[in-house]
Amino acid sequence: MGLFTELKDSISRVTDRLFSEQEPKRIGIYGPPNAGKTTLANRIARDWTGDAIGAESHIPHETRRARRKENVDIERNGKTVTIDIVDTPGVTTKVDYEEFTDELDEEDAIRRSREATEGVAEAMHWLREDVDGVIYVLDSAEDPITQVNTMLIGIIESRDLPVLIFANKTDLEDSSVKRIEDAFPQHTTVPLSAKEGDNMDEVYDKIAEFFG
Amino acid sequence: MPHQCTNCGRTFADGSKEMLSGCPDCGGNKFQFAPATAATADSSGGAGDTEAADAESTESGSVTSRATETVRDWITRDDDSTDGRNRQSPDPAVQSTPDGSSAAVESEQSWPSSGEADTTEADGATGEAFAEWPETARRPENRTDTQTETIDESGDREPSHQQSDEPTTTLADDENSAQADARSEVISAGDLPTHTDGAAVSEPRHGVDADEPTDAATAGDDQPPEHGRVVSEPSGDRPSIDDLREELNKQFESIKIVRPGQYELNLMELYNREEYIISLQEDGRYVIDVPDSWRDSGDSDE
Repeated sequence: MGLFTELKDSISRVTDRLFSEQEPKRIGIYGPPNAGKTTLANRIARDWTGDAIGAESHIPHETRRARRKENVDIERNGKTVTIDIVDTPGVTTKVDYEEFTDELDEEDAIRRSREATEGVAEAMHWLREDVDGVIYVLDSAEDPITQVNTMLIGIIESRDLPVLIFANKTDLEDSSVKRIEDAFPQHTTVPLSAKEGDNMDEVYDKIAEFFG
Repeated sequence: MPHQCTNCGRTFADGSKEMLSGCPDCGGNKFQFAPATAATADSSGGAGDTEAADAESTESGSVTSRATETVRDWITRDDDSTDGRNRQSPDPAVQSTPDGSSAAVESEQSWPSSGEADTTEADGATGEAFAEWPETARRPENRTDTQTETIDESGDREPSHQQSDEPTTTLADDENSAQADARSEVISAGDLPTHTDGAAVSEPRHGVDADEPTDAATAGDDQPPEHGRVVSEPSGDRPSIDDLREELNKQFESIKIVRPGQYELNLMELYNREEYIISLQEDGRYVIDVPDSWRDSGDSDE
């Protein structure tokens, strides 16, 4: 009997795929610099594909080009949701190389900031052209009410894209998920620590629910 | 002509939308920003400046016409050279440049930039024989290629020089004096702005950039060009960098360069743009990605 149910499962999975009408949804991971977007993207990619997406760093603007991981199959409750993950450069309205001069020499800092600026342009472009849904990652230890967050979430809403807000870094002392929930009550907020892997079950449940 | 294709050298007027779908001539999507002010500044110093190729091009109209005249005289003497030599020898280039520019200025301002190069050559071939047009017509293409390469790669440039050296020297001298005269006059004359705006300018520029230096036989010039003379135009004039940045900022409100390494971004503007800047340079050079090439690159990624 076990064989049968297994067979049935795999058949239904195949048909699910066949009839899932479209291509995998492309989910953009957006947020301000250093919110943990790449850490999250790597966590998701490692959990479901075994590979990482990109380098993580405590220095902001480590991700300066959008990176994509395709066909990430996330299994939830016997169903498989396939998504493409786009890890985007942190979006900001100001880039200043002096932010990095503590840890980089001036030339590298200037280059980093130039690339970061290009990265923002790219991220905004992806948002306009190539994204079917958004995971908006925030550092829950920081004040979520900023110009960037308000503007980006406004743009996302105006495009009617499905969006999940991830209150990341719950492992930090100053973390306040409530502050984020209060800031964006119209959206679903999911607390997590991508670094520690806390609450990832709920993360995947929500992803499947919102983007499946 | 603040915008210039770094591939073929075609220029675009301030606010032009042509380039948003890639360079109409060569399909390139790499452009640089060369504000008129900077160019003008360069031109003033420009007589000897090979580097300030753009600046020279700006001088265009009167200079060119003058040069053209001189060249014409010269050409007339040298009938034979017109056809056979023209293609590869520097002489043709010289001839063509001045003529083409003048022609462009006088008769066809509206000419497409691609056509410009052709015009130049054809005219250069000689105003006398139109029958030769067809033959000559081909040259432009060849030339365009060589020019482009010249701009991009130092290697390509050399061949043209070598060829140019043999017969050219004498010619070069003539040209030099002619050009020098023309230049000095031009600079003093107020003509510049008028010519600068027209499409005509871009054409002379083609010729001028690649050819003039060669003709001038300024040996020193060749090396800087390799690295990309296109790039050097705006940066050639250090003091103007601030102006440059200002102009760039005016145009691209989406990204403001406060100073190297410091940027302010207008997210809405970035979001609203169909094309987007994928590369910034402090000297006012930038690369935009146009929708088509974006898709291509996206596909290739996959």
